[in-house]
Amino acid sequence: MQRRTILKGGAALAALGAMPRMAVAQENMITFGGSVPMTGKAAETGMNVLRGYECAAKFINEEMGGVEIGGTTYQVALNLFDDASDPARASSLIQRQVDEGVGFFLGSFGSAIVLPTCAITETAGRIMVQAGGGSDQIFTQGRKRVFGIFPRATRQFISSVNMFKELDPAVKTVSIIYTNDPFSKFQADGAVASLAEAGIEVLDSIALPAEVSDVSNVLTTIRANTPDVLVCTTHDNTSILIARQMISSQTNVPMLYQTLGPQTEAYQKALGKYANTVVAQTYWDEAANTSGDYFGSAADFAAYYRANFDRELTYHMASGAVCILSYLEAAKAAGTLDLDPVRDALAALDFKSFYGQVRFTEDGDGDPSLLGPMLIQRQEGTMKIISPKTNASAEPIYPAPLWDERT
Amino acid sequence: MTLFLQTTLNGLMLGGIYALAAVGFSLIFGVIGIVNLTHGVFVIAGAYLALLFYTELGLDPLLSMLPVGALLFAVGWVYQRTIIDWAISRASVEASLVVTFGMAMILRNLLQLWFGPDVQTITPFYSFFSISLGPFRVDMVRLVALGSSMVLLLGLTLLLARTHFGRAMRAVAQQPLAAALSGLNVKRIHAMTFGVSAALAGASGAIIGIVQPFSAASEVAWTLNAFMVVVLGGVGSPAGALVGGLLLGLINSYTAQYFGPALTQAAMFLVLVLMLLLRPTGLLGNPYGESR
Repeated sequence: MQRRTILKGGAALAALGAMPRMAVAQENMITFGGSVPMTGKAAETGMNVLRGYECAAKFINEEMGGVEIGGTTYQVALNLFDDASDPARASSLIQRQVDEGVGFFLGSFGSAIVLPTCAITETAGRIMVQAGGGSDQIFTQGRKRVFGIFPRATRQFISSVNMFKELDPAVKTVSIIYTNDPFSKFQADGAVASLAEAGIEVLDSIALPAEVSDVSNVLTTIRANTPDVLVCTTHDNTSILIARQMISSQTNVPMLYQTLGPQTEAYQKALGKYANTVVAQTYWDEAANTSGDYFGSAADFAAYYRANFDRELTYHMASGAVCILSYLEAAKAAGTLDLDPVRDALAALDFKSFYGQVRFTEDGDGDPSLLGPMLIQRQEGTMKIISPKTNASAEPIYPAPLWDERT
Repeated sequence: MTLFLQTTLNGLMLGGIYALAAVGFSLIFGVIGIVNLTHGVFVIAGAYLALLFYTELGLDPLLSMLPVGALLFAVGWVYQRTIIDWAISRASVEASLVVTFGMAMILRNLLQLWFGPDVQTITPFYSFFSISLGPFRVDMVRLVALGSSMVLLLGLTLLLARTHFGRAMRAVAQQPLAAALSGLNVKRIHAMTFGVSAALAGASGAIIGIVQPFSAASEVAWTLNAFMVVVLGGVGSPAGALVGGLLLGLINSYTAQYFGPALTQAAMFLVLVLMLLLRPTGLLGNPYGESR
């Protein structure tokens, strides 16, 4: 083959590759782009979110045979890459997919990653629906094409304070430990504001760095100033570390409430019987009385997931799956896959699902009155919903027994 | 005063773990002159192996330090004789920095592939015990960790001071050419040093596994901690690692208690920078560096 012919062929291929593929759907396929932490420090939850995306795609393709939008039936495809829990790497991956013409993005896990990546998709006029970033910064900087299944961090504590007010004896004092990152800090700020509004005194608000190997000194402060409730808006690793050191140092509080961590199998393994009575947040539970199209009820989703995936079911799978359902419901309402109509339909979305009623605020985060967290407590090895009362499967155990009295 | 003493106690406990996790890094740096960025992977691999021994065989992590150390000794030996030696002989000692960085990334991902991304912990029966000493309280696992660190560091000190291998290692560290001319197999000593270093890292991993949660991604923090310990304490000696580790633990503890836990890393890096500016060889210096 002539050198000139090879060069011509190469140039043609390069031009083809560089040509933006603006179409979001090709050959009756809707492709969702994005990145997920499959490795790195956020991988544990990242994999949970990924399984949620995969579960929804599998159900729609295999059980429903696709979804009809504007008279055409589409299958769903995922084009998700490992961002290694690294915001810089995630940004590169998302920019590349934007350049390739991907229009619909699913979110990564962790506000530190979602923040820079949603800025890229917003600037490029693409859409992101995500269940991994709750930082207020995602929703309060004027973005119109970024939607979050969870309410923004500062609004995630309202239901918790409602429960505190109902407890007997009444909660009078709270201490807060938070990780100094874009999500945990905002969540702690929201907690402080909600508690102040309810007249509950905040004794301490202690910031931890992202990497922690010891919290002995923090617990010395907690023991010296024992609150009725210790709230930890920390991530899984840190939550386990805090709980373990609380047990070994006999730091007893009437209620230990950790927003992230207790939901995971790793937490249960690490703490054993001591995990009992620890309170956590969940945004979905298979026992919840919610249902809609697609999977059916919350229990049906759980059954389908368990029949097809090995990874232990947590609410992250459900919130990941509902991202895709939101896209599809919006596209069905719009009757097209064009970006602007789908964006407008997402903003106006209000549909029932196995996850609950899905509706976004004007800023794009989940409506806190519908999508706010429920509170769960491990009781005799099983997670029970303790608040709100409409969904509760058990009464809260409060005050909790001392660590060395737990069975 | 009680608070200050409790804070000091907490810092010393934490420092013991830092010292043990860093001594292997210090040894390789002192003897071969390599900044081994794979060190944290050895630590976390040790934690995973200890977890396996615990879950599959019911072996306590303190006992599994021996088989874990032996396994990682073999890994370290092979690693030095192949990848590290190839990098040094074909390029330069500096090239090993890039090679160990790349290997750390590969090995971290392999660990995650084998063991999954989930956070792990080892929970022997004494995990949740603590000891009260008057008004002070000490976690049993941290006390055990400090004790194990002391035993292993003492063992290494004796190995370096009292055995033929220790003398050979010091000779190679001081004057590799003279050592070779005296009939010592320098490559073999380098491989043995790497093996001992990896074994110590693995043993420390078994301890770290019972003290705090870990995942493959944790390796980065342990390499960084080891680097800081070496800068603070000095290169190549167990005493330097101990001093550096305890100092780092105390800095961490005092900062957390008196300035806020969010500033611990900032304080640690501030001291690191000051140390590099004022005493770049660390508090105890490099016992081998003078004669090179």
